[in-house]
Parts: sequence; structure tokens; C-alpha cells
Amino acid sequence: MIRVAATGDLHVGPDSASAVGEQLRAVGDKADLLLIAGDLTKSGLTGEASALASQLRGIGVQVVAVLGNHDHHSDHPNEIADLLRDAGVAVLEGEGVRVDTPNGTVGVAGVKGFGGGFAGASGAEFGEPEMKAFIRHTKERSEALESALAELETDVRIALMHYAPIRETLQGEPAEIFPFLGSYLLAEAVDRAGADLAVHGHAHRGTEHGVTPGGVNVRNVAQTVIRQAYAVYAFERPSRDRESASVGSYPISEPTT
Amino acid sequence: MSTDEAQYVAAHVQEALARDHRVNEPELGVTVVKGRVVVSGHVPSEQRREAVTEVVRECCPDLEVDNRTTVARFPEADGVETVR
Repeated sequence: MIRVAATGDLHVGPDSASAVGEQLRAVGDKADLLLIAGDLTKSGLTGEASALASQLRGIGVQVVAVLGNHDHHSDHPNEIADLLRDAGVAVLEGEGVRVDTPNGTVGVAGVKGFGGGFAGASGAEFGEPEMKAFIRHTKERSEALESALAELETDVRIALMHYAPIRETLQGEPAEIFPFLGSYLLAEAVDRAGADLAVHGHAHRGTEHGVTPGGVNVRNVAQTVIRQAYAVYAFERPSRDRESASVGSYPISEPTT
Repeated sequence: MSTDEAQYVAAHVQEALARDHRVNEPELGVTVVKGRVVVSGHVPSEQRREAVTEVVRECCPDLEVDNRTTVARFPEADGVETVR
């Protein structure tokens, strides 16, 4: 079995970094890798990222993350990503990574994603420049996710996002804010490229379990939803041949942004 | 305070909790009931919980603050879900 731990929406500040580190300390005993679905920091400050990076360094498993809206708040997303990469975290935005575990290979394609809503209640690239830019950003990130997913040739393939691809995992949130929580374009990208699991955060009052229209399992792993430090998902080893048994991560495509 | 005014106050408090660097938590719930600002949801630390009270007091000095946020303590993962 390949075991994947996943969490999201840590909102780390100097006041909470050590507590988060304590929560994640034993993840290596329970999983082969750890996914973080965005909002690693409270305010998107480099000091917050440094505090988290010091906690993630040496936890014993490969950490794969995407950034969330909190991580963009202070306009330093690249610096935050670099600080985390220095600690060994694979920070994805329109790219994929392969993690080789003793039980098989895991490919993760990641994007932050964005909003726009869901079929029947979604925005369009129409009208004011601001509205067109809003939807265009979601389209671009969804296309980047599809491309990165399509390149993965691993035993298990996972789509990692901050924003939600389906409305089912938003249940519990006010319906009025669904367009700010995710977009059907992300689910469409996942269904086109194919995946074994799609993971997201962002919706703190949402629901853990859902499925895309194409049948891909979706999990909302915001900590306030899963109500534990992280959830663990296991995959029975698929029939694809394993390429390597070494543990490590290897970038398999370049960022598209 | 009329119902309309209470709604506006709640929306402005929510905006302040999102934007103020001491909190930066747009996900908190805010309602204004009978002169009290009620804030709910989870925060990661006691320091941030105290900051919620500070920000609301600064926004609404004439209203009572009812800070019902809780400091989230998440346990170790319990169990494994097999994905098929």
C-alpha cells in the first residue's frame, strides 16, 4: 500500500509554528509522503514561511505543497515558495513531481487554482476587465493542472489544489460564496487528464468527501474539516510497473508561471 | 441598532478580521445580535484569539464583543482511508 498524508490551511504564524510542527512530527510513521493543500502561512509573510520551513525540515517524508490565497496576501509568493523549497518541500504551481516510495511511485500535479463557481452558477470571461481577468486566471491555472497531470507516469496520480474543484466538498459553506471557493474548471482538468485522487483545502466549513463528474475521488483536507492534523489515504499498488524503489522526489516538468 | 445596520456592522467586522495583520482570518463567522458582536470559528493560537477581540473592539467600541472562537487542537491522524 502507498500511504499519502494530506492536510491544508495551516495558517502558520510565529504563534503557531511549533504547534504545527508537533502535529506533523510523526507523519513519517503513518505515510510515505505529506501533501499540504495551501494556506501554509497566516499572512503570506516570509517570516511565517521560515518558521514553518524550520518545522518541516527533517520530518522524514517528502512534503509536497501548493500555495493558497493566504500565502499570496503580502505579495511574496515566490519568496515563500523558495524558503519552503530550501527546506526540501516540493512547492508546485503548474508542475508535477514524482515521489518514489518503497511501495511504488506517486505523481503529484499541483496548482493553487482559483474561483469562478460551478456549473449552473459560474462566472464567464465577459464584461469588465476585472471580471475577465478573474475567470481567465482560473482557466490558465486549470490548463496548467491538466498539462502537469497528463505528464505524470506513476503508479498513483494525485491532483493537489488549494481551491475546490467540485461543490460537494463545499457543503457546509454558505452557497453564496461558492464562486470564491472553487471552480468546475479544475474538476474538468482533473477528469480530462485522469487522476486517482484530487485534494484541496480552502473551504474550512466544507465536507471531506466528494467525487468529480468523471468519477475521481475528491478530498477536502482543510484541518477544520478533517478535524485532525492530517488525513491518511492508502492506495493499493496498481498494475503499472514500478520504476524505482528509492525514496526521493524528482521534478518532472517546469513551472508554467 | 436596526437589522440593516447590524448586517453592515457584521460585514465590516468580517472585512477587518480578514485584513488586519494581527488576525488575517477571513473565514471567521460574524453576526451582530442585540448590540453584541459574536465571532465564531477556529484560530490556531491563543494569541490570535486575543487579537480577534482586539480587532473587533477597535471596530466597534460601543458594542459588546462575544468572542466564541476556539483554539484548534488537532490530534494525530486516526485511521487510514483506502481510496479505490
